[in-house]
Amino acid sequence: MYRRLLSTLQSATLRLDVWIQRVLPQDFNPLYYTGGLANLFLTILVVSGILIFLYYEPSLEGAYASVEFLTRDVPYGVVFRGIHRYAADAYMVAILLHLFRNWFTDRYREARDSQWLSGMFLLVVSGFTGFTGYLLVWDERAQLLASLTVQALRSVPLVGGWLARVFLGGPGVSDTTLPRFLFLHVGPAMTLYVLLWWHYVRLRHPKIWPPAVWVLFSLGLLFILASALPAASGRPAQPGASPEGFPVDWFFLWPYVLARWLAPGWALALVAALVAYGMVIPYTVRETPEQRGLRALGQAVVVEENCTGCELCYYDCPYNAIYMVPSPYPGKSRAAANRKLLAVVVDSRCVECGICIGACPFEALELPRMLDKDVQQRIQRGAGAAAPATS
Amino acid sequence: MATLPEGTSHTQSDTAPPRVVGFLCDWAVRSEGLLNPDDTLVGMPHVTVLRVPCSGFVKPSWLELALRSGAAGTFVCGCPMGDCLNREGNWIVEDRIDQLRKRLSRQKVDPERVAFFAFGLHDREPFLRAVAEFVEKLRASGGTR
Repeated sequence: MYRRLLSTLQSATLRLDVWIQRVLPQDFNPLYYTGGLANLFLTILVVSGILIFLYYEPSLEGAYASVEFLTRDVPYGVVFRGIHRYAADAYMVAILLHLFRNWFTDRYREARDSQWLSGMFLLVVSGFTGFTGYLLVWDERAQLLASLTVQALRSVPLVGGWLARVFLGGPGVSDTTLPRFLFLHVGPAMTLYVLLWWHYVRLRHPKIWPPAVWVLFSLGLLFILASALPAASGRPAQPGASPEGFPVDWFFLWPYVLARWLAPGWALALVAALVAYGMVIPYTVRETPEQRGLRALGQAVVVEENCTGCELCYYDCPYNAIYMVPSPYPGKSRAAANRKLLAVVVDSRCVECGICIGACPFEALELPRMLDKDVQQRIQRGAGAAAPATS
Repeated sequence: MATLPEGTSHTQSDTAPPRVVGFLCDWAVRSEGLLNPDDTLVGMPHVTVLRVPCSGFVKPSWLELALRSGAAGTFVCGCPMGDCLNREGNWIVEDRIDQLRKRLSRQKVDPERVAFFAFGLHDREPFLRAVAEFVEKLRASGGTR
């Protein structure tokens, strides 16, 4: 049932591509570059964030005023604020598209689980960074979000009080609160880059940048949005004020929208449960390759006699599953007799794609259940040894 | 590398459609009902298609072998560019085919006899049309290479 749902979703995802490609050329399909687009928006966020940081004053009295100063009096300040705001939205949209696309097109399990796990961490840290960004403005919305968060954290058993204290930088809202929020915004943003290292570490040539057309289009869109719909603060936060409602970005702040119906503690529990489920998604469907409709050709095997240590497979393997080690003994074929290196396949990373076999001109790599000689026979048969059409 | 002997491409009579050997990625065009049990395309008995786990699996030497064994043409069909399940298989094989074409033209073999296609799961009709056009092109250019 779950499996059939996934294959329907895969079919639908790829159907979407067909529609997009009626309008756009194949290699400009933005859905092929969701990861690169996310990285583009992250870069824009870092650059615009540094510019905003220069004007920001993390104090109870000064925070709101410094943001207003940036918006009103600094030349183009309103544009930079708007870009930071809308790039954050675009970043979140891009990583959610990235998540669902890779989930539905079956790129998340087995040898690829490390990317999935690091991606879930990236999602959580990105969401948290976005949320603390709302707090820094310190308007009524920030105040309400902070008080809901404190309620949610306090309701965590055992460590709740401690968590709330860490979040506020003290027992209550005080002079140390805004510096703490600033740290909770910038610190996780830096953590993103550590997590990105983990996200990329098993990929050779990761696609971390979209085509130039999309870079220009995204930048232009952000500039237009930031100028046409300037980002604005609510009323300044005041002790004792109880703001009612205000527009929120549901994909950043949906747990807080839920808090209208649920106790904040339960909303937090729901988020935690969703994240926990996300972490185990690659391990939920236990299938043999046959059940998945794959032919299970087996992981690539190095034919050690023929390997010349030329490194071609090592450069082409998209998953860094091939390592070159110092050759422990000479190879048998003439080309391999004087080799310095030997290719070794790391089984846990191999996805059985066979790209290394296409790279190898020395017949030193094989997929165990689709051998070179069998393929050659089938080619010769197909190429017309029989030639039935002549009769 | 063995050179291709001249005149091996068309051993059949002129009326027979040229024989073609192709490679089709498992993740590209949906292959249910596309192939006969003997690897030939349904409706095109002169086109043999071998399914491969990724278009990047195809060795250029296999394409050469197909030409040398009597096929008029050979092609590789991968996923749409940018959508390779293994991220790079179709870019890599496109690159390798470019290099193979250069080698072939140095050996006075028409490089147009090797083709590369990129089609997704739902692109069966465009794929079949592309194959038919490729066969037509081979037939039109004749066997005098």
